[in-house]
Amino acid sequence: MTPARGGPPIAEPAFEAVGIDGLGPGSLTQEDLVRSGDRFRVHKARHGRRRWYLLWLLVGPGILAMLGENDGPSMISYATSGATYGLGFFLPFILVTFAMAVVVQEMCMRVGAVTHRGYGQLVLERYGRLWGWFTASDLVLTNLVTLIAEFVAIRVGLSYFHQGPGVAALLGVVLVMFTMSGGRYWRWERIVLGLAIFNGLFLVAAIMTGPNWGAVGHATTTFLPFPHGSLKTLLLLVVSTIGATVTPWMIFFQQSASADKGMTPADVRHGRIDTVLGGIMAAVFGCGALIAGAALAGHGGSSISGLSGAGFPGALKDVSGNAVGTVFALGLIEAGAVAVLTISASTGYAVGECVGAPHSLNNSTRGAALFYGANLGAAMIAAAIILIPGAPLLSIALNANVLATVLLPVTLVFMIMLANDRELMGRWANSVLNNQVAIAIVGFISLCGAAYAIDAFLQTVGVI
Amino acid sequence: MYLEHDQLVADKNRPVPRARLGRGDSAGLWGLRVFVVVMGVLVIYTFIAQLGH
Repeated sequence: MTPARGGPPIAEPAFEAVGIDGLGPGSLTQEDLVRSGDRFRVHKARHGRRRWYLLWLLVGPGILAMLGENDGPSMISYATSGATYGLGFFLPFILVTFAMAVVVQEMCMRVGAVTHRGYGQLVLERYGRLWGWFTASDLVLTNLVTLIAEFVAIRVGLSYFHQGPGVAALLGVVLVMFTMSGGRYWRWERIVLGLAIFNGLFLVAAIMTGPNWGAVGHATTTFLPFPHGSLKTLLLLVVSTIGATVTPWMIFFQQSASADKGMTPADVRHGRIDTVLGGIMAAVFGCGALIAGAALAGHGGSSISGLSGAGFPGALKDVSGNAVGTVFALGLIEAGAVAVLTISASTGYAVGECVGAPHSLNNSTRGAALFYGANLGAAMIAAAIILIPGAPLLSIALNANVLATVLLPVTLVFMIMLANDRELMGRWANSVLNNQVAIAIVGFISLCGAAYAIDAFLQTVGVI
Repeated sequence: MYLEHDQLVADKNRPVPRARLGRGDSAGLWGLRVFVVVMGVLVIYTFIAQLGH
């Protein structure tokens, strides 16, 4: 590890041949060679002044983290807000939460590009095994729960086309196996990016419902009308919306993926573009799901149980036509499938980093057996659970985002500590403004999560 | 090779040193431990109680 990077960002000489002579012939791994090939293309694009090609090469982790979090449960949650309250507070609130996500994810990208290490590895090595294992265990637990919800979302989408849970389970697992094969991070990233673009189907569905764009503009600029109902319901929706945009897996994923992609401090500017671009796309598509759901407000939309039967796609078909229902169903399948790929990858990274085993998509399945095993294993466990008759899938899905939000402050606090660690980050450490915004975000999320957890607990034990 | 020295697998496997935490940092982390345990218990209890209904 090269300590404190106080110097300027990577200039020409930094890309020159690494001292292979000094390392010895056995020091270079297959993973190094594959990553070096990807970096060679970045080097050529940068020095050939091919700006758009360079951007194309460097985008990926940010867009995938953001669109991956526009997952099945999130889109159902946004559509539920729209169907229950219509256009109003939650439309601009989605934009606010994605702005928070951009601030957090930019830190992950920067730490990954500067240290070349994943989040789990750095927390374990810098702050001890207790916290390292806690953050990784927290992630694996919430990931498993979230993965179940993703398979449920795929099932909801497929049920619109009269396909059963077995097809949903098989589709998800086969996708994970297919994308992992090849032993190249670049290949995996491009396939998942290609799938993730179809998250835009939610925007298409929204446009097809023929919304009142004046009402959309009014809600976006005024946060009105404000939702009515009990404090618990409002808190649940606020916490679910936060849990749908800022999550532990995104932090693990983007930092590890940035390191796995081979990003360096010279790529931080492009990493920021990648993250902001992903945030904008995810926010727009998320708003699309809410606007599509709002078409059901006044048509019994609030009574739709989004995780049973064809749920929203079926209701949209009845209100806005078969084409809208079909597009929304396809969107749910895409959202669940992309999230299965990114969330299971973050599980693999976390397990590999904490155990100290090879953890790279640039490695072969034999060379990084634990990483690939955890990646595939997480997807297979979740797929198996949705096949169990009578499993409490609705309860699991609803609690997934809440659990992730309540445990999120721990992950965020360590993220801020790493981004401020001048021994690791040098001049790439957080600025004062960056810290003020990040701390305000942690405070807000902690407050919302704690308020909901306490309120729900007190109601469960019958105190209120 | 078009990698930085510390991008090589051999270098990445070398652990970074433990952070030297001040009193404020340690106290903050203890507060975080308490927060996590309390919130974790509340959420898990609520979740299990919901499963029972």
